[in-house]
Amino acid sequence: MALIDIAAREIPEAGAPVLTLEELPGATGEGLAVFLPAGTAPEAVLPHLSRLALLLVEFPKFRDGRGFTLGRTLRERYGFQGDIRATGHIIPDQLSMLKQCGFTSVMTPQEHPPEQWRGLREPTQRQLLQRLLVK
Amino acid sequence: MGSTITANRLTDGVVIWRDAQGGWNPDQAQAALLEGDALAETLERARREDQNLAVDIREIPVEGRVPVEYRERLRAEGPSVRPDLLGKGHGWPAGPFPPLPSVSHSSPDAGVYRYDEADREFLRQRAAQFAQQTERRLKGELNEEEFKPLRLMNGLYLQLHGYMLRVAIPYGVLSATQLRQMAYVARHYDRCYGHFTTRQNIQFNWPRLVDTPEILRILAEADIHAIQTSGNCVRNVTTDHFAGAAADEVVDPRLYAEILRQYSTDHPEFTYLPRKFKIAITGSEEDRAAIRVHDIGLIARRDAAGEIGFEVHAGGGLGRTPIIATKLRDWLPARDLLRYVEAVLRVYNALGRRDNIYRARIKILIRDTKPEAFRQMVDDAFAALPADYAVLTDDLLAQVAERFHTPPFLTLPEAAPAFEAALVSDPGFADWVARNTHPHRVPGYICATITLKPAGGIPGDATAGEMELIAGLAERYSFGELRVSHEQNLVLPHMEKQALPALYAALREAGLAGANAGLATNIIACPGMDYCALATARSIPVAQRLSQHLAAREAEIGPLDLNISGCINACGQHHIGHIGLLGVDRNGEEVYQITLGGAADEKAAIGGIIGHSVPTAQVVGAVDAILDTYLARRDPGERFIDTYRRLGAAPFKEAVYGTH
Repeated sequence: MALIDIAAREIPEAGAPVLTLEELPGATGEGLAVFLPAGTAPEAVLPHLSRLALLLVEFPKFRDGRGFTLGRTLRERYGFQGDIRATGHIIPDQLSMLKQCGFTSVMTPQEHPPEQWRGLREPTQRQLLQRLLVK
Repeated sequence: MGSTITANRLTDGVVIWRDAQGGWNPDQAQAALLEGDALAETLERARREDQNLAVDIREIPVEGRVPVEYRERLRAEGPSVRPDLLGKGHGWPAGPFPPLPSVSHSSPDAGVYRYDEADREFLRQRAAQFAQQTERRLKGELNEEEFKPLRLMNGLYLQLHGYMLRVAIPYGVLSATQLRQMAYVARHYDRCYGHFTTRQNIQFNWPRLVDTPEILRILAEADIHAIQTSGNCVRNVTTDHFAGAAADEVVDPRLYAEILRQYSTDHPEFTYLPRKFKIAITGSEEDRAAIRVHDIGLIARRDAAGEIGFEVHAGGGLGRTPIIATKLRDWLPARDLLRYVEAVLRVYNALGRRDNIYRARIKILIRDTKPEAFRQMVDDAFAALPADYAVLTDDLLAQVAERFHTPPFLTLPEAAPAFEAALVSDPGFADWVARNTHPHRVPGYICATITLKPAGGIPGDATAGEMELIAGLAERYSFGELRVSHEQNLVLPHMEKQALPALYAALREAGLAGANAGLATNIIACPGMDYCALATARSIPVAQRLSQHLAAREAEIGPLDLNISGCINACGQHHIGHIGLLGVDRNGEEVYQITLGGAADEKAAIGGIIGHSVPTAQVVGAVDAILDTYLARRDPGERFIDTYRRLGAAPFKEAVYGTH
């Protein structure tokens, strides 16, 4: 297991101990980190969002795409500014989608070490609609 | 009775057997017979050591060396409906191949979405991405479990005999050049034929994994792709096969279907949904796109001011739990289409079930949460989107619409003397016109259906030669434009009426002039157990026997939808056939459940099961009994489905099963 940023560069793991959702209400201070198991509703973290610096979004299986919606909702709808990290079973081919959904780091699984996340061929061109929508 | 160990070879999908030397052999006669501890140990070792050589490694029971299960015998021998392919080994043509059709053809007038160089480069990059993913799989960097969803998102399945590649024909619209490119793939990378499906796709049954990146690259040169034709993502958006041509059309749905296609392609949030997601759209009041049995179904309309909007349905579907969709909105302004679809998908992605594949479709979520509550959740998600997010402005719509060329229609007189004369002089032609054409919105033009349903043939199959011939006819007569219908037929959407006799003559010569659109032999059938790894019974042989038998009386019977599925997943859409057949396995015997009264149109209904399943040998007799009852009881001019709705199932049940 290693930590990479959204450009697949290895970064040091540091910071606050990771809390569970249950521990969160009792925790004090700022810059907290919380683990969000798959299926967590965004509303469960909303009251604490301003005190959080790191959200660990769980992917139990890479085929389970709930984390994409959770990350995107917290980033875009609720304006979370801190680090959103994917953790669990994810594959390198998902990095670009994680990025587009607001994720900023990935805890890489054992079988996919950081070097596998680099040098992947991916479309850089966008189809017409995407080009028109981002204008 | 012992067992053998079998698998498919990773690189090309060929069925292989574990031999006595511990290798893999495509010759079943070399399969080692194993039992007890030796079986368990060999299987365990094969799975541990050979996962980058072989896929789906498993044991199967055999007697002698013959597999006990019929499915496995089919798998060992090849599809029962293509004896001509048997014994041909596993050879693929070796190159070099001739230049691509897209080099010399361009179909400049066809009403397909026109790619620009960036659109095309996107497809090339997707093909290159899949090439790298394939390399990583072969190296073992990705295991099969991880690779499978990636190949599925590129349309590549592993089926009974090997890989199958499903290529999208977006909303059923294609150019002659694109059809030629598909024929090229069939000829050089497959076995010279393709199968058109009920979801406006084409399937190739014999591609190699190692060739697939190259096939995708070739398709990209003609602006075609296989993206999201499988997997738990938004699939090919389907529509009316007369879209943009039909006289009864209110709104041309192709523009919105194309926008939905681009929107959903590689969508970062919705590529790992709980299950697949199918969107259909129609722009006519007569629903030829079966929108009420889709995850989202859209009816495009104009309001009193002429503004375009949609009636939105969701949660329809067939399969194990057939459900007619719930209406979510009477009116959704066109500008909000993507925003609303996104809201539906967001609720579904967050809350759809992932613990049970059979309960994972959105129809189950809507049923379980209750439509009212679901509608509210969607409305909340919709309201929460930023006001400027993904709005389809008039300017944006105009820029996408510009990519669809309107064919250079001529101003033709209403009268078409050659056409009128042929109607009188040639009863066969008159019959074909009556069945296989649809009124066109431009005077002097007409839509013509080429059915891929010859009596005794394989529904939806076309050879590479037939594809090339039809592409040539499209170039000559229909501005190089074609459609694929959900009934597995091809359409020349813009025929000059005056040219119909010549088209008909050319089709007759090619054996493609079946006058059976909408009739009993226009059977919709899935590939069934002859090809499909999920099937529980064969579909094609039943379709062949029925079409052969019914050909002589179909004119008397009149309009009839007859659908056959080879398993409960219902790719043959048996639930919405007026007569539906579902093949199931009963202790090793193929038997068929009969449903009556299904319909796909604006009066969509799920057919009702009329009784116990009948053995394969009795299917033709049972259908005959149903049709005899209809003929005896119908009012003058009454269609089968209307007679059924008037009388109910009882007289038909009695005809099939007697009074006991």
